[in-house]
Amino acid sequence: MGGSAEKPALFTNGKRVDGRGVEDLRPLKIVARVLNDAEGSAYVEWGKNKILAGIYGPRECIPRHDQSLYRAIVKCRYGMAPFSGAEEHGRSGPNRRSKEISKVIKEAFENVVISENFPKTEISIFVEVLQSDGGTRCAAVTAAAVALADAGIPMKDLISAVAVCKIDGQIAVDPGKEEDNFGESDMPIAFSPRTGEILLFQMDGLLTKEELARGLELARNASAKIREVQVAAIRKVYEEPKEERFLIID
Amino acid sequence: MESLNEIKRDTFSALLLQGKRSDGRAMYDYRKINVQPSILQNAEGASLVSIGRSQVMAGIKFDIAKPYADRPTEGVLSTSADLLPLASHLFETGPPSAESIELARVVDRGIRSANIVDLSSFSIDEEKVLALYIDLYILDHDGNLIDTAALAAMSALSSARMPKIEAGKIIRGEFTGKLPVKEKVVTCTFGKLGAKSFLDPSLDEEKGMDCRLTIATTPTHMCAAQKGGWGTVTEKDLAEFLDISMEKGNELRALIRG
Amino acid sequence: MNKESRIVMPGELVADKPERISYAYTENGKTYSTVVGLFSDGKLVPLEGPYEPLPDDFVVGIVSEVRFSGYNVDLNCPYKGFLSSREIRERFEMGDALFARIVKVDEVKNMDVGDAKKLPEGRLVRVSSVKIPRIIGKKNSMVDMIRANTGCEVIAGRNGYVWVTGKGDSNLAEKAIRMIESQAHTHGLTDRVAAYLKSQKKA
Repeated sequence: MGGSAEKPALFTNGKRVDGRGVEDLRPLKIVARVLNDAEGSAYVEWGKNKILAGIYGPRECIPRHDQSLYRAIVKCRYGMAPFSGAEEHGRSGPNRRSKEISKVIKEAFENVVISENFPKTEISIFVEVLQSDGGTRCAAVTAAAVALADAGIPMKDLISAVAVCKIDGQIAVDPGKEEDNFGESDMPIAFSPRTGEILLFQMDGLLTKEELARGLELARNASAKIREVQVAAIRKVYEEPKEERFLIID
Repeated sequence: MESLNEIKRDTFSALLLQGKRSDGRAMYDYRKINVQPSILQNAEGASLVSIGRSQVMAGIKFDIAKPYADRPTEGVLSTSADLLPLASHLFETGPPSAESIELARVVDRGIRSANIVDLSSFSIDEEKVLALYIDLYILDHDGNLIDTAALAAMSALSSARMPKIEAGKIIRGEFTGKLPVKEKVVTCTFGKLGAKSFLDPSLDEEKGMDCRLTIATTPTHMCAAQKGGWGTVTEKDLAEFLDISMEKGNELRALIRG
Repeated sequence: MNKESRIVMPGELVADKPERISYAYTENGKTYSTVVGLFSDGKLVPLEGPYEPLPDDFVVGIVSEVRFSGYNVDLNCPYKGFLSSREIRERFEMGDALFARIVKVDEVKNMDVGDAKKLPEGRLVRVSSVKIPRIIGKKNSMVDMIRANTGCEVIAGRNGYVWVTGKGDSNLAEKAIRMIESQAHTHGLTDRVAAYLKSQKKA
């Protein structure tokens, strides 16, 4: 948050830098079942984000000492491709940021995955960011939920995540890259749409109590729209069955 | 699931030794190939290729770097590969395996030997050169990752754009034309089982085969080769594989646009 | 799908009161689906999912380890199946395929299998276990049709392992199995598979 470059005006005449209103999401497209080896998979394009999620499991939990006798252990690895950013070439492998993101995503899914049916196993969520454009962890949660549903892993709900920002004093949903960099607050949130419970919550910047409430309301409304796109992607798998799966990127 | 490997090894091996393949292909046919050029905007080049059910994405990124001490007026070319855990139940998380390192180095060798990218044109000033990074992101493993990755890399290079450089810095998002590429390098990988050889082994075939041989070619020359696995190849094999690689190589080259 | 059935999502309401429905859970007096499934007539059938072993399931297994008193059998799930030597007269080797019945599943999901028969040489096709009933067909109609058109025996285990054996066109048999797997939830599948087999059958 906060760049050294000159801060652009982020909110003018009711419009954001890309012309959106405060409640508008960036274009969101989801395709389920795009990989052949993974048990379940999903590809999300959100703004210019391009994110791929794959699921393995339930499978034997390795190392053994991670195992639980009573349930499946949910694991998550979030990674970014070295060519995913707009700036320099990144490095392969997890860094501190991606490890933290892996943890909060894992914890969100630990709540929704019904793990008691599969003792001693692991259910692994792998998310790769192929191109990043702000809000990758929310897109990662959204993709992973579809991938888990695609794999037939039993869950309490089909969850998603969206971030809320404050730009020039306005609370708005789904920040783009510039809003991420120059906004006054960033708040990613994952909801269980059925119950309204919050499964992932992070925040930085400065917010008043009223701004927080307004942000949660916007996020809740947005998550209903996101769910429609997720459900459509899952249904499409069965409406247009394919024997081989391919990731198609336009 | 090792027992599954045993079963598959027996079934597919039995077929191969009879000169047949489980999917009905001829011994020197590729599976269906799909090339998607130019699929990303943040990268200076990126392509996604599938051969059968294997899927590999190659990304190209430029950076400013210091040249190597022994080649002070040349740019830097670096290739790396990630066998992502999401690509296969066989891949684990962790530091790069010997398999992923070999993959990257074999793909790199073909591109470098044939000098298809003129690294001497990447010099900026006494201390700075352009570095070209090729990252091979393995997304889905059903065998013959080398050919899939090499084709993805070549397609990415063929559609990559040169970034604009001003005062020794890259201006991201602005370009000065295409990356000049002299010619196209592709690889052809053969499997061997006993006396039988076959092109483009699927994962099931890889599990049973004795060894593999990869040959990289330009339209006129062989420019890299690598044998992998404990089995052996004969001189006659090498000559035959080179002939087939030159022929099949042109078919692969024709799939790359740009 | 007939007009009474619909595809439901995880977390979607399937009953306004607490009901014992497989693959659904109850919370605050209502019942919700846990999977993507077809819901009709009060029953929920998952469209995808891992194999969950039950006693009396007939399964196809692969011997994964020869032990002193029996064999460990790979049953397409993260839990081991054990076949005691006392249950069978023949001897098995690592990699042998067998058709057996799950006799017992304990609290930590270790399984005992029995009534095991060694299967002749063939090939293994791994499918999603929820599609197996469709691959077998009503009264074996699907596997019979595949046999008639390919000359191959198809032995489908409830666990998602399908064994294709015989001197016929096993490539075609596998293709038919994959076709059924991807379209298991649709209507008119039997006719489409029949048409496909006839069109691909070598004279």
